[in-house]
Amino acid sequence: MTQKSFVWIMALCTLLAAVIFFAGCISGTNDPLPSVADPAMQNWRLTVNGTNQVVLSMQDLQKMPPVTGHGYCVSTTGIRFGPYICKGVDLREIAALAGGMNQGDRIWVSAPDGYLWVFDSDQVEGNGFVTFNEDLKEIPSPSLRVILMYEQDGRPLTYDEGGPARIAIISEEPGIVTEGSAWVKWVDRIEVKKT
Amino acid sequence: MNARNILPVVLVLFFLLLSAGCTESGEEPQKLKVLAAGSLLTSFSEVEKEFEASHPGVDVEIEGHGSIQVIRQVTDLHRQFDVVAVADESLIPDLMYRVNEETGKNYTDWYLPFARNEMVLAYTGKSLYSTEITPENWPDILSRPDVRVGISNPMLDAAGYRALMLFQLAEEEYDRPDLFETIIGDHFSPMLNVTVSGRNSTIELPEIMRPSGGKLAVRDGSIYLISLLEAGGIDYAVEYRSVADDMGLLWVPLEPSVNLGSDEYENNYERVRIVLGFQRFSSTGRERIGRTIVYAMTIPTDAKNPDLAREFITYVNEQSRLGRPGWPAPLD
Repeated sequence: MTQKSFVWIMALCTLLAAVIFFAGCISGTNDPLPSVADPAMQNWRLTVNGTNQVVLSMQDLQKMPPVTGHGYCVSTTGIRFGPYICKGVDLREIAALAGGMNQGDRIWVSAPDGYLWVFDSDQVEGNGFVTFNEDLKEIPSPSLRVILMYEQDGRPLTYDEGGPARIAIISEEPGIVTEGSAWVKWVDRIEVKKT
Repeated sequence: MNARNILPVVLVLFFLLLSAGCTESGEEPQKLKVLAAGSLLTSFSEVEKEFEASHPGVDVEIEGHGSIQVIRQVTDLHRQFDVVAVADESLIPDLMYRVNEETGKNYTDWYLPFARNEMVLAYTGKSLYSTEITPENWPDILSRPDVRVGISNPMLDAAGYRALMLFQLAEEEYDRPDLFETIIGDHFSPMLNVTVSGRNSTIELPEIMRPSGGKLAVRDGSIYLISLLEAGGIDYAVEYRSVADDMGLLWVPLEPSVNLGSDEYENNYERVRIVLGFQRFSSTGRERIGRTIVYAMTIPTDAKNPDLAREFITYVNEQSRLGRPGWPAPLD
């Protein structure tokens, strides 16, 4: 064998090994990222109920004025999720489609898995939440907004992340952690309850 | 060097390259997926290390939630787990003895009670009146206007509704008919509604558990109460005894008739009923009845590793009987 053919065989084997490695051995099992054409996104509908009722598609939601901010939440057992850049629509804008809400009204947010969470009008205005720093020490609450998030870190939400749409509590400054019980996943219904 | 000499070298090199990239996927550990209530996380993290040490090739993965959320991971979110462990034994028959439509079998048909707990008042050396408080005078101390008390959210945490129950039960035990209102009920706007019929009481909670004023603090979980207690934001927190022990906190024991820790007083505990502000989960009702705190485990019928899961719960049960520090107490 000549030196030229030795180099050729070596290069071929290295290439083959690399191809096999990348084809079969990368252990990525991430949830596939949905696109707007994804059936879950296309079929998703949000029912908003108040003095009147409207039903929104994802396209309808995305046409509403968007807000973006920093979101970071923690479970009851102290597991942190985030930080994220969250994009969505302010809950007040969504409530306005069904007649709006007044001081003392409540908003019920629910999902098809049977989960329900209730916000009062103060919370919808961004007040009354317990906030923590990244070490989970309580800190005074900065200005917050409650949104229905449809984009996280610049891409649509996967199912495991609560997509197509979930509640997020966002702030202008990073590193603000809020209690995760209000971050309802898989939201499909928002109801304004009058007092 | 000729071709006959080079080819074996090349082949060896090729397989070395191949195996360098693939060893990880060839030796994946067997995963045992365990769901556990928050107040079990310390004890279960100890079990995780010990079980993995005695079972090479097994990776125990523990995920913690409130007890109802633990069960909902299996029954409502249809996630596959090998072991379910909760802080209220009644939740398993109530929520899991029903048909899983995917398998045609019940989510489970049995459970193993393995430990008990009791409610205590946790505090630190910095807490107001920490040198005065005793098992006899705690209702007076906690009723003082300058003393701040913390409970976890009854909507989210069994320790939260159990805290409300103990204050209501203590009214009779300590002959303080205004105790619940003084420490809890009066600090919501509007005040909490308590209906008394004979010796039985029903406490109705609002949709939002946000107290007014600084007397009472409500947090999502007990870890946040402990953090608040240590920072001086509250003086006393209602906690499970095992949690207070594990965190090295001082605590006041309560009478067995109110601490929800004694089978002997089960009938007494049942006198208090809590009605939650809304039905957070469609699969669980709004009512919580006072009961003795008993922990239980089960293996869902669709568990991937039922034999290993059986070994795991046997080990937990054996260790629980030893009364290890920081663990819920063994059953009698």
